[in-house]
Amino acid sequence: MSGYLAGLLAMLSINIIVAYSVFLPGSAGLLNLGAAGFVLVGAYTAGALSSLYDMPLAPAIALGSAMSALVAFLIAFPILRTRGIYMVLATFAFAEVVGGVLLNIPSLGGAAGLSVMAYAGLPVVVPCAIGTVAFVAWLMRTRFGLSVRAIHDDESVAHLFGVHLRMTQVMALTLGGAVGGLGGALLVHQFNFIDVQSTGVLFSIYVLLYVLMGGTQTVWGPLFGAIFFTLVPEGLRKLSELDPSLKFLEGGRYIVFGVAVVLIMMLRPQGVITRTMIEGWGGSARKKEAGA
Amino acid sequence: MSIALQLEGVSKSFGGLKVIDDVSFSVPTGSRTALIGPNGAGKSTVFNLISGVYPIDSGRISALGQNITQMSVAHRVGHGIARSFQNIRLMPHLSTLENVMLGEHHRSRPWELVSSRKASAKARATLERAGLGTYPGQVVADLPYGIQKRIEVVRALMAEPRILLLDEPAAGLNNVETEELRRLLQTVSDSGVTLLVVEHDMPFVRHLCNHVVVLNFGRKIFEGTPEAVKQDAAVLEAYLGTPDAMEARHA
Amino acid sequence: MQLLQQIVNGLMLGGILAFVAVAFTLTIGMLNFLNFTIPALFMLAGMVTWALSSSGGHFMGLGWHWTYAAAAGIAVAVLASLLIERFTYRYMKARFGDATEHALPLVSSLGFLIIFEHLAMMFWSGDPQRFELPFKSSTLEIGGLMFGIPHLISLASAIVLVALLNGILERTRLGRALRSIAENPDAATLMGVEVQRIVPVVFVIAGVLSALAGILYAASYGTVTPFMGDAIATDAIAGMVLGGLGNIWGAIAGGLLVGLVKVLAISTFGAEIEKIPVWGLLLVILIVRPQGLFGHTRIGKGKF
Repeated sequence: MSGYLAGLLAMLSINIIVAYSVFLPGSAGLLNLGAAGFVLVGAYTAGALSSLYDMPLAPAIALGSAMSALVAFLIAFPILRTRGIYMVLATFAFAEVVGGVLLNIPSLGGAAGLSVMAYAGLPVVVPCAIGTVAFVAWLMRTRFGLSVRAIHDDESVAHLFGVHLRMTQVMALTLGGAVGGLGGALLVHQFNFIDVQSTGVLFSIYVLLYVLMGGTQTVWGPLFGAIFFTLVPEGLRKLSELDPSLKFLEGGRYIVFGVAVVLIMMLRPQGVITRTMIEGWGGSARKKEAGA
Repeated sequence: MSIALQLEGVSKSFGGLKVIDDVSFSVPTGSRTALIGPNGAGKSTVFNLISGVYPIDSGRISALGQNITQMSVAHRVGHGIARSFQNIRLMPHLSTLENVMLGEHHRSRPWELVSSRKASAKARATLERAGLGTYPGQVVADLPYGIQKRIEVVRALMAEPRILLLDEPAAGLNNVETEELRRLLQTVSDSGVTLLVVEHDMPFVRHLCNHVVVLNFGRKIFEGTPEAVKQDAAVLEAYLGTPDAMEARHA
Repeated sequence: MQLLQQIVNGLMLGGILAFVAVAFTLTIGMLNFLNFTIPALFMLAGMVTWALSSSGGHFMGLGWHWTYAAAAGIAVAVLASLLIERFTYRYMKARFGDATEHALPLVSSLGFLIIFEHLAMMFWSGDPQRFELPFKSSTLEIGGLMFGIPHLISLASAIVLVALLNGILERTRLGRALRSIAENPDAATLMGVEVQRIVPVVFVIAGVLSALAGILYAASYGTVTPFMGDAIATDAIAGMVLGGLGNIWGAIAGGLLVGLVKVLAISTFGAEIEKIPVWGLLLVILIVRPQGLFGHTRIGKGKF
């Protein structure tokens, strides 16, 4: 596999993982505009452990994820006291505070960022992505997944039937943090570098957009969103390199992304992949089985 | 005759408005009791008080021999009280099966699978018995109103209640659907579940119920048999106050 | 002395932030819509003004006088704002009833933000461009303190504009119509308010405010880039929350406060610290006192 394709696949895998970190709280109705926060915690923790303390890759990454989960757990209670637009702003503020704090830790490189030597290549990153998707797919099929989606649709009836609102939301946010931390830990070891500047507001916005465009109704939405919105802009860029007359595609690919966002919100706001769609496929498969 | 559910001197105010005023009645075990009254009489509020959505201001509610006045909402479900809602309150983005399985959620553990055949067997069977077996995987928002209403009843049944509160279960149903609902409820009642039904559909009530409680302006004005309620002066006055509505309902 | 100068600098920045904060708070208060395209409007006005008034080989390099360029900058921002109104807010409302039930307009506005920023990048490249206005470097010295003329203009005009806005809202029919829409759009329609014609006014006002801020910013700090709106907008949002969502005077106070905190923090602790005081304070306010320092109008406790 060429270096370019390998890099692309690694990027895609990480994007998928980070997308799921936004999906988890999102499926409970918690819109997270602070994905960068969890990614940064995971990246800096894992990066510091592997470079400053010479920890081997696997435990460093695991601890990066765990640290992010802990931070998510701690921040969950105060953030869940807010509602609606205030909650969106709170998640955003959280990510900014994380970035701000990290910028001021000189041993972690400050504004210049953190460089690490240890490398996590495809054999690490891709299985993690697959594992993440499998985990979330399983999770959403459990009672916990049902609680999460029930809260999203109708909190008070969910509560009536025994769903623990606060604990479920906290768990969703904590798991989202763990997954985001994993993404960050992998990110820093794939690119051998992390800095606050490049993993900030725009990063959080893009990840949120992949997930919303893909669809938050099912587990497959974020996967589709991450794949489509990683590969298509890259594809457009490659195309623009091939033929000089297509140069505009290079700058234009983000415009295409923006237009896609607006169009999807206008025409299919629940995202491309919806529950009804998946059930429809399942239904026709079942019909085929039954020979109907 | 034992009493499944009893309200004693229950009152509830919202802001300055006394919505339920010193209401007392008993629901005999195994009965099919109707809670009727003109619009605004407080019937849905009574349900909300029984299921614990609102706390009562004064009085006492007992269910199945226990004082449940202070019991939390989720505990009441575990205790054996389940309900349906006047305006359908299903989870629109979830499938029929998932909605229905929410009924038994309080007895489950977070890591148990919901979508395996084994886990959903009971839900499928209950849906079948209710005549809703063809819709398990469908997203409920896509289903017709009449079907959704009956799915909500099945959800309540999944909680294995001993007392089933139904808030206008027949509203919006056509004749065929209403009859199927009545048959379902009869079966449920025959299995020993006590029914308390709020309804405006008088023929439905007369067909199904053997005990009637009438509310008006937050007060109980009658409690007794369906035959007696037709004769009672206070009830007639309450309903005759809105002649057009009376006409429509008895049509 | 140094401290006083920093305070002055902070208030100068705050003046510009105040404009943008008012644009945000007006849109959220009237329409329950957190409009993420406002940074793009800010940028468009700044960049168009720069482009038109200079005569390099770039797109729109027509060498106009800065007054015409500025007017055009404002016009472009207002047009863009109306575009947003048409395709996010109005569309959502028509299709889904309550435009704010979901995060749709917010997400849609993010899409437009991306579109505008990258259009600007396509036309003018991502490099910072120098913007020289004749009065850019003129300063006023009072008691040993330096006041930049453009900054003073920002501050003064922010106050004047908001007083004007407040007057319109409180005393004119238009203002009453706007306030009734903010309270309850359906009731407003029943009362004969032509919601379709009035809502765009809010977008126009927000556009003008953002545009003026963008032009003043360019004049004050001398550079424009396609992403110049981002940092300003995030700070302005902080100012809006501090002042209380929907509270116009609060937005001015909040904007000034954020400007002050930022400049003081940077001058005391260095540039890296800037995020912590502002966003830390904001996080605490959101959790503990979401109505901000001055209270808000009825907003956003619903979905979005």
